[in-house]
Amino acid sequence: METTIKKAMANTSNQVEVAPLSLRELVWRRFRRHKMAMAGVVMLILLVLYAIVGAVFLSESYANYTETSIRLQSPSSEHPFGTDTIGRDILARTIYGGQISLLIGLAAVMVQVIVGVLIGAISGYYGGWIDSLLMRFTEAMFNIPQLFLLLVMARFFAGKISTIRFLGRTFSGSVVVIIAIIGLTSWMYLARIVRADFLSLKEREFIQAAHTIGVRNLAIIFRHILPNTMAPIIVSATLGVANAILSEAYISFLGLGVQPPTATWGNMLDGAYNYIESAPWLWIFPGLLIVLTVLSINFLGDGLRDALDPTTVT
Amino acid sequence: MKQKLWQLLAALVVLTMLVPGLAGCATPTPQVVEKIVTQVVKETVKETVIVEGTPQVVEKEVTKVIEKEVTTVVEVEKVVTPTPEPVRKVATFAWTQEPDTLNPLYTNMWFSSIIQQLYNCWPWEFDDQNVPFPKLVTEIPSMENGGVSEDGLVVTLHLRDDIIWSDGTPLTSADFVFTYDMAMSEANTVSSQYPYYYLDTIEAPDERTVVMNFAEPFAPWLATFWKGLLPKHVLEPVFEAEGSIDEAEWNLAPTVGCGPFVFDVWESGSFIRFVKSEDYWLGEPKLDEIYYQFVPDDASQTAALVAGDADLGTFPPLSDVPILEAGGLEIITQNGGYAEGWFFNFRDMASPGARDVRVRQAIAMALDRDAINRDLLLGLTEPAETLWDGLAAYGYVSPDIEPWTYDPDAARQLLEEAGWTDTDGDGIREDADGNKLTLIHGTTIREIRQDAQAVTQQMLREVGIDLQILSFDADLFFESYSNGSPAALGEVDIMEWSDCTAFPDPDHYYWYCDEIPDDENPWGANYFGCDETLDELFARQIATINTEERTAIIQEITKYMHDQVYWLGLWVDPDYWIVGERLTGVKFSGVTPFYNIMEWDLK
Amino acid sequence: MTRYIIRRLLQAIPLLFFISVILFMLMRSTGDPVATMGGRRTVRSEDRARLSRLLGLDKPLYVQYVYWLIGNDWAKIDTDGDGVPETPGDRRGVLRGEFGKSLVSRGREAWDIIWERLPNTLLLMIPAEVIIILFSLAIGVYSALRQYTFTDHLITAGSFVGYSMPIFFIALVSMYVFAVNFKRWGLPYLPTIGMFDPQVGKTPSEVARHMVLPIFSMTLISIAGYSRFVRSTMLETISEDYIRTARAKGLQERVVLFVHALKNASLPLVTIVGLDIPLLLGGAIVTESIFAWPGMGRLFLDHVSRADTPVVMGILMLISVAVVLSQLVTDIVYAWLDPRIRYE
Repeated sequence: METTIKKAMANTSNQVEVAPLSLRELVWRRFRRHKMAMAGVVMLILLVLYAIVGAVFLSESYANYTETSIRLQSPSSEHPFGTDTIGRDILARTIYGGQISLLIGLAAVMVQVIVGVLIGAISGYYGGWIDSLLMRFTEAMFNIPQLFLLLVMARFFAGKISTIRFLGRTFSGSVVVIIAIIGLTSWMYLARIVRADFLSLKEREFIQAAHTIGVRNLAIIFRHILPNTMAPIIVSATLGVANAILSEAYISFLGLGVQPPTATWGNMLDGAYNYIESAPWLWIFPGLLIVLTVLSINFLGDGLRDALDPTTVT
Repeated sequence: MKQKLWQLLAALVVLTMLVPGLAGCATPTPQVVEKIVTQVVKETVKETVIVEGTPQVVEKEVTKVIEKEVTTVVEVEKVVTPTPEPVRKVATFAWTQEPDTLNPLYTNMWFSSIIQQLYNCWPWEFDDQNVPFPKLVTEIPSMENGGVSEDGLVVTLHLRDDIIWSDGTPLTSADFVFTYDMAMSEANTVSSQYPYYYLDTIEAPDERTVVMNFAEPFAPWLATFWKGLLPKHVLEPVFEAEGSIDEAEWNLAPTVGCGPFVFDVWESGSFIRFVKSEDYWLGEPKLDEIYYQFVPDDASQTAALVAGDADLGTFPPLSDVPILEAGGLEIITQNGGYAEGWFFNFRDMASPGARDVRVRQAIAMALDRDAINRDLLLGLTEPAETLWDGLAAYGYVSPDIEPWTYDPDAARQLLEEAGWTDTDGDGIREDADGNKLTLIHGTTIREIRQDAQAVTQQMLREVGIDLQILSFDADLFFESYSNGSPAALGEVDIMEWSDCTAFPDPDHYYWYCDEIPDDENPWGANYFGCDETLDELFARQIATINTEERTAIIQEITKYMHDQVYWLGLWVDPDYWIVGERLTGVKFSGVTPFYNIMEWDLK
Repeated sequence: MTRYIIRRLLQAIPLLFFISVILFMLMRSTGDPVATMGGRRTVRSEDRARLSRLLGLDKPLYVQYVYWLIGNDWAKIDTDGDGVPETPGDRRGVLRGEFGKSLVSRGREAWDIIWERLPNTLLLMIPAEVIIILFSLAIGVYSALRQYTFTDHLITAGSFVGYSMPIFFIALVSMYVFAVNFKRWGLPYLPTIGMFDPQVGKTPSEVARHMVLPIFSMTLISIAGYSRFVRSTMLETISEDYIRTARAKGLQERVVLFVHALKNASLPLVTIVGLDIPLLLGGAIVTESIFAWPGMGRLFLDHVSRADTPVVMGILMLISVAVVLSQLVTDIVYAWLDPRIRYE
């Protein structure tokens, strides 16, 4: 069953190699051929620039500036994306919201990778009852749909942290909460993959050799086995960013995510369907930005997967 | 192998087709019901008639129009709402929340309490000025007519002698006593025992008299007692058989009632149907039937109203108001005593800014409440000055109160005088010790509140105050002290929600010093602080039966709270009604909204 | 095989216990159901104390869990507030088939409330699942057979866009186009709210009309993802040796493709689709909110925000059981379809 699935995700495009190249060059070459992946990279760079450079032109206080007399105005020259229900400029809010959404995506993935790799590595390497216990725990978490878990955990941590100042920006403490809970509810898949790789790798000769010469366990885990499992981790992490941005959007849409007035693309869509007819610019712009970001990350991840290891399962 | 796969797919496809079929099968078959119906028929009868102009007596055949009682067999389709027939006047009300129960003791849900007015009865009701008028009683008890004793400890109700339940049983004082017993019984998990626990004893010396004995004078009795009665002859057997009325059928199907309409059927998730009561002692209502249609949410309520499928709606979302008005519907606001405002925390753990009265006064002057009402609330309501604004007809608000006006310069000046200056130029003021003027504001996650939070945050920043805003789910915000509710623990300096007094009574219990939650009293409701003056005033007013004296005390309270800015009103939160074009004769009350439901008619 | 099934079922039991403990602790640590019982007003202090006591909410967390699991009719509760428990409880607990009484819809059994809404969610999910399977197979195979043509690239690009969209964005766009704008342009338009129009009643055609947009939103993402998956497995299978043999034997191309290739290519799809149940249930929450569909997802949202533990735990346990069972069923179906798989 394992082999069938592995083969099922194989890349089917033909590769033609001329001369032996280093691993890095090999990967880069394969990646470059993947046109969509390159397009994804370009789009991603543009979006990141939009969020960062845009902040140079429009200040944060402008993004948060409310003027109720100009609420719900359709796009105009002064407000290219229109204004929201309390008169804030939507263009500026998508810029600063983009910063938060991207930050959440990256940070949540860091949490996810750390937790997932740790659990998978320990479980796979030590085996025995530790493995059993950790895998039971992983299975339990896996069996609960992520959104339900997010909702329950969001309430558990609600309002515990107030505003935060970070890198010159001030935003709601709920961002940290969201990062934590998205990270803590999406590590299971990665843990499984890492564990599977560890299980197979730890029997290999070079690991047995390391044991023999007395290398300590921790060093074996982090310096010998782990570097060989990087491929699925990188791919999973990349796609995890897309997943995290989507999860943040889902939970903010349901009202339990990042609390206003801190903007994220997700919470700008909260309640927007009340205005679906009267003010479509409220949801079209942040929605499109989410789609474009996730799309480009998906392209990138796809390309990485094909480039790094054509037989990897995701 | 191939067969297995095809079998699997075929099974799935069949399953898909079965499922909607099953859903369709779930619709119940029509029921056949026998009903006794009064029909108007023309009949030809022989009559002896005196021929005009002559003394002759002749037998003639005359066609007469008479009413006959006929037993007919009627098929009742339970799911499909019937289209109104030409003779029957059927009104449809769109309800966005389905009641949890229809027993007055078991629910605090507004959407349930006001439905109860159709089939249940109160001894007195309140009109559109929120002034009481007698219903079951012959007259409202007062000191002048002896209904209230001199010392205020005894209230006597004299009931009318023509009041009956819808099954013909007379409504007597025994029903009042029974209602009290059920509310106070430990076997019933009623939602509130207020205000019944203030009664010392209750007596029914005869069938038309109810005597309420208090241990101490309880001034709010008129506005708080008897908000619905339970039929003793129906529920007492249940209580004796099961030990509790928690699961009585009557709670979800109150077929025996005492109101102008009689309960007919409650289709869970769909509608509740009421038909007019034939035996109501005040006459017959003009409408024949009322349907309470449950709509899933606000958008579908709007759609139903605009399409003309519903005649009445409540609480439209502000985004839909232009659509409704364009559709020819009228939005009526009725003051129900609720006002949205900021409750200030002046306990020891609050921030120094919140505890300084001059800061609070500066905040009052720094908020442009007119702009909030005009832009965020579409001008549908207005700023509130006190929690007692809704009782204007009673004159409780002190005439000496000067409403706060939007004056940011005066606010800045006041803050400077109070010692808060911006020494480091970041736009936020500090005091002499360098503490920043930061206040934490908390409320629930309703959209209008979050919008208001952002707007007021900006207004306060312009005078140098840093407002940090938090929002919570309602059940987390109002959690108990032991569970760590931020409001109860005093972690929030400004709390915003919509509240009212014991409307239409001016009583309020929030500011009693012994209501502050702590480890001995984790259920306390005073999240705000102890002010001895205020505590004494509130304690005095609840025991003052004399109306003039009590009004004077309330006026003192309103002035004191206004000047100390313990509560800053943002907007009046009225009941919003959306009335369709077909309905006429409609008036609302803030206490008993359907008080004139008998006059409602369809064009 | 039977031994395998029994063993899996036995393993599932401690798993479900573990899940229930985690979820119960999370649920009860936050939110006070009594806090919102006041309707538009806050609940008075005396009533809060009394109701907390009567509903068993003042007990420590582990005691509440035990009562939830096995009821409290073997214990006494204190109904009159004197500190001495004297009345026997009346709950029988989950293990004896009673999820408890809802704390929000007072007096109604949690199970009844859930059972009322469950068919509505199934009504969305089952057709959605079938549509996903059929369309993924169709589009994936079509795309594989025309590898590297313009159509293939178009479909691939479309798939990427499809599964990059959050479900509510699809819902909003489809609402905007098919409901709002169709109505504006005078075309027959699809309804956006609820399960049926109250005036017309709950007829099958009415319900079917209301199902179109929600199911469309739910299935688009999965179809986009799985069609690519089917495409790659199909391509992989086609290049296998036995396909070459079949062609060499002279079988018709159609037989080769649809009989031999497809059935092997679709095996992994069974696994993935079986594991998709949690995702579909999650998507159901958002879809049901947007389209005001009276299903279990909306029930969950309404009741979790009012801390109604019996109903919320009922829904979560139901879902967990469904997920565990679906994993088992998937494995069994997979073994049934693929004779090479053998479990002990």
